[in-house]
Amino acid sequence: MMLGHSLVSVVDDDVSVRESLPDLLRELGYAAAAFSSAEEFLASDSIGQTECLLLDIAMPGISGPDLHSELTLQGRNIPVIYITGGGDQTTRARMLKRGAVECLRKPFSDEALLKALNVALQEAER
Amino acid sequence: MVDSAYAESQLPLDTAIPNLAASLDSIVRTEEMLQRPSRPPEPEKENSALAALVIALADSPSTILQTLADKVLEVLRADSAGLSLLTKDGKRFYWAAIAGAWQPHLGGGTPRNFGPCGDVLDRNIAMLFTHWELRYPYLGAALPLAEEGLLVPFFVNGKSVGTIWAIAHSAERKFDTEDLRVLQSMGRFASAAYQTVESIEDLKLEVAAREKAEASLRDLAGNLEEQVHIRTEELRFSEDRWKRIFDNSAVGIVVVDHKGRFVMANSAYQRMVGFTEDELREKTYLDVIPPDFQPLNIALMAELLDGRREQFNIEKQCRCKDGHLIWVRNNVSLLPATDGAPRNIMSIVEDISERKAAEESLQHTQARLSHAAEVATAAELSASIAHELNQPLSGIITNANTCLRMLDIKPPNVHGALETARRTIRDGNRASEVIRRLRALFSKSTLAIENVDLNEATREVIALSSSRLKKDQVVLRVELANGLPQVTGNRVQLQQVVLNLLQNASDAMSAVGDRPRQLVVRTERDEDDGVRLSVQDTGVGFDPAAATQLFDAFYTTKNDGMGVGLSVSRSIIEGHRGRLWATPNDGPGATFSFYIPGRSKDVPSDLSRAARTFAQDSAARNS
Repeated sequence: MMLGHSLVSVVDDDVSVRESLPDLLRELGYAAAAFSSAEEFLASDSIGQTECLLLDIAMPGISGPDLHSELTLQGRNIPVIYITGGGDQTTRARMLKRGAVECLRKPFSDEALLKALNVALQEAER
Repeated sequence: MVDSAYAESQLPLDTAIPNLAASLDSIVRTEEMLQRPSRPPEPEKENSALAALVIALADSPSTILQTLADKVLEVLRADSAGLSLLTKDGKRFYWAAIAGAWQPHLGGGTPRNFGPCGDVLDRNIAMLFTHWELRYPYLGAALPLAEEGLLVPFFVNGKSVGTIWAIAHSAERKFDTEDLRVLQSMGRFASAAYQTVESIEDLKLEVAAREKAEASLRDLAGNLEEQVHIRTEELRFSEDRWKRIFDNSAVGIVVVDHKGRFVMANSAYQRMVGFTEDELREKTYLDVIPPDFQPLNIALMAELLDGRREQFNIEKQCRCKDGHLIWVRNNVSLLPATDGAPRNIMSIVEDISERKAAEESLQHTQARLSHAAEVATAAELSASIAHELNQPLSGIITNANTCLRMLDIKPPNVHGALETARRTIRDGNRASEVIRRLRALFSKSTLAIENVDLNEATREVIALSSSRLKKDQVVLRVELANGLPQVTGNRVQLQQVVLNLLQNASDAMSAVGDRPRQLVVRTERDEDDGVRLSVQDTGVGFDPAAATQLFDAFYTTKNDGMGVGLSVSRSIIEGHRGRLWATPNDGPGATFSFYIPGRSKDVPSDLSRAARTFAQDSAARNS
């Protein structure tokens, strides 16, 4: 698989994140798509091509973890990196336990993001 | 007995319980009653009933039992009330006095060993019955049927003599522990009344004897009519009889003359203050009152003696012989005049030290709870603030990283870098907007009274709550009315109420999985230029029967909640002369609303806790 063309999808209801993160992802060498809600992502064509999901935890309607469960139920084994603006010390541990690759607290550095993406995409290749 | 289908002739005197009779357990509801929420006490009503009874005892002892039944009916808001007395042969109870719907059954009764009165005396406890005719079929003829009957025993010198009871004929009236307390207090009074009634017979004989003796005197000398009258009057108000009434009373009773000097004090009062009656006779009522309470008491006494009032209630402190202070509640009234002599004054004195201590501790607890609620709100807010700030900060850092990378490549992506720099500035502005809102929320002095635009105040709260609502997967709809009048009040306090209502609504929906979690925040213009704000949810709702308890300090439908938010919220809204209430929705969930009157109304002047407490105290003192 060509790393440079891996599609990373961002699902976050915050417009700042939807605008900024795809640009950074493209600078880091990935293809990127952004969705404002879990519902929008589930209805999109990207769902089949997405190799890594950058997923907000708290969203109106379907939450991040609920979307994750739904994808698992559908048999889609997409690696998930959570990005959250809230949460506490226990959030990351809980999310990892639920099968997330990583859980990044906003704001996060590009290095931290890159590191998590590398782990996620190696996992996807396995 | 007139017009009554229930006559004593119908009473079965055999004690065999019919095979088909319902078990005693099935008609007793005492335990359930003890669990019911109790209505607030009405000490004024109760004390004035006691005063009326004492005066009736002095004035017309033969009607005291009926007066007692009337007062039970009145104070308990019962449908029927009365007294059952054990007959001399001990075989049955007869209904010696009845008030209310059962009045026509006066003179009826129940067998000693097969009826509710017997059950109560056997166990020597108060009992609540429902539909006793299921066990005691003869009571089926005593109409209307008793939905609930509350009975307490009363004793004289350790001997059980009867019961005092109250009946509800409709299912709406449910007796509770407050009714029980009042009935028990009346029961204590019944013992005194009973003794008086017993002694009336003796008294009549005595009067007859004197009249006879004096009649023969009349034959001997003139001018004896007057003497007979005076002697009879003397007898009627004889100190012996007063003593009997006084000493059997569980509440303190004192009599002072028109100059305030103690004339009599019963043993309950002597125990209360520690002075003997002889010691008290050396004093005036002012000698046992701390100076703080004297001016008010003197003024009220003057009004009583001038005929400007019939009676008054006063809550005050009283200094006991050993120097310690107790709280008492006095019901003070003039005694009937005797032949032109200055009228004496009677006071029923109740030791309310325990109640006062409980009130103080409750106030203390409420203050602590209110502080705890503020701390919890602060924690909630800081989590919200962190989230609100992290979103734009995240954008700023991601954009700046992207910008650097775009400029670092050869050739640099200047167009892309410009775009990300612009977004960085926008997100920076967004972050400073969050800070501005926080300033708006906290910069105001906590007790400042100002004109508040409730829409704007609500928008700020919504902005700060949105992350939490989002986390709870709540879909928020905001319908703020245009041209809403401003209200006068404390902006931060009102915002705390809105925040609390939003959080409660969100919590109420946390268990909801089968329908959308919808929250509607609405403002509307209401009557008198007032404003109404409502928060409607699709949560678990509440039991309409519990609507008034929702605002109690400890009421909660949540497993981990303290319910303190609503009680504090209500005090805040009431401090703004408004109302806070809850209504169940037609569909799922509940709507909490508050109303604040318009600016045309008086400016609230008593928003601070201290001011409110003072107002309550003064109201109590002036009553």
